[in-house]
Amino acid sequence: MKPIWRYLKLTGLMMHNCFVRELQFKANFVVRFFTELMWLVMQFIYIGVMYGQTGEIAGWSKWDMIVLMGTNYVIAQLFEALFYDNCVRLTDQIRQGDLDFNLIKPINTQFLVSLRYTDYASIVNSMVGLGVILFALGKMGLAVSFGGALLFAALVINGVLIYYSILFVLSVWTFWIGRSNNLMELYWQFGQFSRYPGDIYPWILRKLLWTVIPMLVVSNVPAGLLIHKLKLGGIFYAFALGAVFLSFTVWIWKKGLQRYRSASS
Amino acid sequence: MSEAVQTKSAFHKYWVILSTRTQEDMAYRANYVFGAIFRFLPLVTMIFLWWAIYAGRKATGASPLIGGMTYEDMVVYNALMYVARGFSSVPGTMSDISKDVKDGLLNRYLIKPINYLWYQVMYRLAHKLVFWYIALLTFPPIFFLMRRYFTHWPTLWECGAFVISLFIAFSIGMLFCSMIGMLAFWFLEISGFLFVVMMLEFFMSGQLIPLNILPAYLHQVLFFSPFGYEGYWPCVILMGKVPQDQLAQVLLIGFGWVGIFYGLSRLMWSRGLKRYSAVGG
Repeated sequence: MKPIWRYLKLTGLMMHNCFVRELQFKANFVVRFFTELMWLVMQFIYIGVMYGQTGEIAGWSKWDMIVLMGTNYVIAQLFEALFYDNCVRLTDQIRQGDLDFNLIKPINTQFLVSLRYTDYASIVNSMVGLGVILFALGKMGLAVSFGGALLFAALVINGVLIYYSILFVLSVWTFWIGRSNNLMELYWQFGQFSRYPGDIYPWILRKLLWTVIPMLVVSNVPAGLLIHKLKLGGIFYAFALGAVFLSFTVWIWKKGLQRYRSASS
Repeated sequence: MSEAVQTKSAFHKYWVILSTRTQEDMAYRANYVFGAIFRFLPLVTMIFLWWAIYAGRKATGASPLIGGMTYEDMVVYNALMYVARGFSSVPGTMSDISKDVKDGLLNRYLIKPINYLWYQVMYRLAHKLVFWYIALLTFPPIFFLMRRYFTHWPTLWECGAFVISLFIAFSIGMLFCSMIGMLAFWFLEISGFLFVVMMLEFFMSGQLIPLNILPAYLHQVLFFSPFGYEGYWPCVILMGKVPQDQLAQVLLIGFGWVGIFYGLSRLMWSRGLKRYSAVGG
């Protein structure tokens, strides 16, 4: 079997396995779905209150902002569906020396630890986010071409992978510092930068958020595509940056593994 | 005489819990430093977001006040929220208590001559001690950098009321989380529900939006809720937004909630223990 098929098949198996697990806890699924929905409603209230005070924020109208919020929601939910739990589990595995069981399996370990568990509630939630985007675009009277939709999808995936790269690097950091249970907080604290338009930030911070901590590339780029606030260069830049970040995870993972002690600290 | 010894030991055992827990947490203080710096990132966004909102108002010639707050007030409110939450948030309390109940881990504590809830209080207090040990190094420089926003110099009354409100903040945060955790006596699986509660708390304590700029029908209710004491009230008290003649009333309602929550949590504990099956599940 060609390697690529082997990986795809394994991804399918792992997702199926999680689906079966999910079916055993249906109530949990429903609660998680509604929790995330409530978060979205709270964001709506927040935007409502903000735009109750002014018609435009840094050149962004209310519906522009909702498209951005929806886009960020889709990206964050997809990230949480595929990678978030796995990153949190990874820190525990490194700390407690439980990584051994993954290391001995005949498959790329980074692939295995990154995609082992899928959270289906978040996948459903990302669909809700898509609904929000479409609704907002409808209100603005903006249409999206087929090519535009494909490009948007690619940029969303790119955003998810950038999120993954950052969180994965932070998880792998456990190899060095021995403990990092602030991961969830960090995700929230960095993630909030991608919820708002980059235009609100002063020059230096904006540059920082476009390069070193590319939270603006994550969702401002795909949202900008939909509401025509994006230059062509931005698209190329986003993909290039995604590739660089993803490569970095592979490198740091290898470096980290060399420090693995296979014992609890 | 034996009575005196007993009284001493009653306090002593909780003191031992507190100091042991503190030492344990101190071992991981690097972890706290890390968190203490990054937790201010959202404040950066808030500073610029509100700047853009106030600038937008200025451009259209609307009043420069939002809910009686200037731009500087809004920034200070968001900054002081970190202080208030430094007292009212007791992360992990809900889930730890519910886990102890659900998995039968409570047995470990029941056989010891300690009150489990006071044990939890000491445990979280130790967290707070280490948190503030670190925060006293990180908060002042950050607030110093933001000094131009602090336009109001609080009076002695406001400072006093602020300190009292922080005590109320910790008490309400601690008691509320304990009560939610104790729901596990009646409902086996509440982890999903915990997120809902935390989110409501986040909103109703004024962390997302200052309560006074919410629509009137909402803020009139939330002004009397216990959750405002976990964030909103300590902030606005120190900012001088509460008239001096209303300070006592605000604090009294807060103490009222502490009393109600204390009574309720005692009741839940005694009722809950009767249902407790002492096995994992």
